[in-house]
Amino acid sequence: MQQLTRLVGVSALALSSALAMTASASDTSLEARKRWHQAIYQGYQSLETEAEDFSQAASTYCSDPTPDARQAVEQDWLAAFLAWQQVRFVDFGPVEHNNLSWQFQFWPDPKNIVARKAGYLLKSDDQIDKDLIKASGVAVQGFPMTEYLLFDEPLNSGANALPTAKTCRLLTAVAHHIETNSEQLSHQWRSLRDHYLANDQYRDSTIRAGMAALEILEERRLAQPMGLRGTGKRSAYAADAWRSGTSLRTIEATIRGLKQHFLPGLSVLLTEAEQSQLARQIAAQFDEVLDNFPTLHRPIDALLSDDKAFAELQGLYMDVSQLATLVNDQAASTLGVVRGFNSSDGD
Amino acid sequence: MHLSRRQLLKAGMAGGLSATLFGCNLLPLKAGYAPEHFTGAVGLSDGGFGVSAINRHGQPLWQSPVDTRCHSGCNRPGGAQVLFFERRPGSSFYVLDQSSGARLHHVKAATGEHFVGHGVFSLDGRWLYATASRYAQGEGIVAVYDADDAYRRVDTFELAGIGPHQLTLHPNGETLVIGLGGILTHPDYDRIKLNLDTMQPALVLMNRRSGNILGRFHPSHHQQSIRHVDVNPTGEVYAAYQYQGPLHQAPPLLARLQDGRLQEIRFDDATQSALANYIASVTAHPENDLVAATSPVGGTAVVFEGRSGRLVSRASIPDCAGIQALAGGDFLVSSGRGKLVRLGTDNKSREIANLPVHWDHHLV
Repeated sequence: MQQLTRLVGVSALALSSALAMTASASDTSLEARKRWHQAIYQGYQSLETEAEDFSQAASTYCSDPTPDARQAVEQDWLAAFLAWQQVRFVDFGPVEHNNLSWQFQFWPDPKNIVARKAGYLLKSDDQIDKDLIKASGVAVQGFPMTEYLLFDEPLNSGANALPTAKTCRLLTAVAHHIETNSEQLSHQWRSLRDHYLANDQYRDSTIRAGMAALEILEERRLAQPMGLRGTGKRSAYAADAWRSGTSLRTIEATIRGLKQHFLPGLSVLLTEAEQSQLARQIAAQFDEVLDNFPTLHRPIDALLSDDKAFAELQGLYMDVSQLATLVNDQAASTLGVVRGFNSSDGD
Repeated sequence: MHLSRRQLLKAGMAGGLSATLFGCNLLPLKAGYAPEHFTGAVGLSDGGFGVSAINRHGQPLWQSPVDTRCHSGCNRPGGAQVLFFERRPGSSFYVLDQSSGARLHHVKAATGEHFVGHGVFSLDGRWLYATASRYAQGEGIVAVYDADDAYRRVDTFELAGIGPHQLTLHPNGETLVIGLGGILTHPDYDRIKLNLDTMQPALVLMNRRSGNILGRFHPSHHQQSIRHVDVNPTGEVYAAYQYQGPLHQAPPLLARLQDGRLQEIRFDDATQSALANYIASVTAHPENDLVAATSPVGGTAVVFEGRSGRLVSRASIPDCAGIQALAGGDFLVSSGRGKLVRLGTDNKSREIANLPVHWDHHLV
């Protein structure tokens, strides 16, 4: 009998410690999600502010197109675009609604649809206003279109160059669309809070989002233009934001965004899993990547066409690869999150 | 490079491709066509893609290279050929020799059309029906090919809807059962979903000779995209959804066609949550009332009673997707991690093989 009691006692103990572990893991997940929700909200608020400034600067420039106003709108475009890069990794939640993410940045664009759509809109007799932008596709609705209008060399040396009235109307209407979308995103993210905190599945969604962003950064935003994949040819056109010469700045902003809005929640989970050493390694690797800047704040075509500069780009690529390995292999497998062959397929 | 069985076995002995069978030394026969073969599209460790067949010993029979990632396929009645379709938007399908994997035909999509990954044969094995889209117009179609005439395109049936995916043939031999996802995409825009607010998914029944639509059934919510379908030999039709709404909502993902409507099946909250709003495959067992479904997103496979909707088994299988009904009443589930897992009524999953490939969405 005594033995039985002992047995029962032992198993009850085992059970309660298993429950305690589960409870503690789920507390940690909640804590991580609280941090993520707050950090991403801050990122979205910053996007909202910058997008508002950009939209205002576009209107100011188009009503009085002085060189200073032109410089201001270009600077505000970049500030808003970089604010987007900081939260671009979030691929779930309200940014999924209505393809908001694609509306902000339609990319990649191997068929140059942005330029084709702009050409079509500038030629057509349609009244360019917010309704037309709303009804147009994602290639019209975001940062790449405004980048095209502000920075594309053939456009800006031709008859439709800014501040031509119609081009200005397109610029201000798209800037306004970005502003509206930013407000909506920030507002809807705040409304998601209760669901996000109540639903443990968002833990994995958030980790996967960070992983996917690093993979896209390594493979598509760096390896592809560097000619390390596919055809083997270096091509600036495969990069983000080549028209404005800011491809590398967008990469820096994405890394900063991940460090600021993704890493804190991830570190909470790693520390709970007794992997604080790994958490520290990841934080240090983020800094390694960021050490490449501002040295690499140069247009990507300049970095691709010069072998010495290319070597610096390779240095960045190596640093990003190591970061991706730490997060996508080591941290993800510690936390039991894997991006699968089928789970990321979509059919 | 096409690999013969001998080469594969040699590679296997060198620690490469052969399967590891656990616990038993023979897989049960597959129910249905080509019972000795299990064929699936695969992703290879070098980043390439192929179609791979294994036998009941878990040994690779052949591996046939393909240009791009394939999705699903179908066995041609008669047993000599197996077809695989490129993943959406697919520009071609491959006709392979069932016994050797040798490529017999490589059929390109017609201009302005793309395949979506699935096809099915008429019972006599002559006519191939493939779901496809005219991408500029966003129109879903069923493309008909004459297999006896080197897969010549002979007909086109209009679906009057967007985004067809899987189709199968009703046991009456006359009716095609088609999942119409309702989601508009365009190759220029990769896989961007262009119409999430206005999508109209449906299960469509179509006469395979005339192309006449005999029935169109809608799920309870317009964002329950119907992708996969199956029907058992007694004619029970099942549909599987991928829900396009927020993750924190967990609506039904499976339905049975009954009394002229989609009778939706909802499991307990934990199971619904484990399915993560995404079903990759649904298979109704030809020998009993059981139905299996997989969610690679949730890493979960379920088996349930078709008529009652009662959950019978639930297993955690990371990246699981393909399902094959096994003779005797169980199911075989494949995963993107190369695993083959047996799942049946006893709610115990048994990992029976492990191959160094990524099994893609469907096993045939």
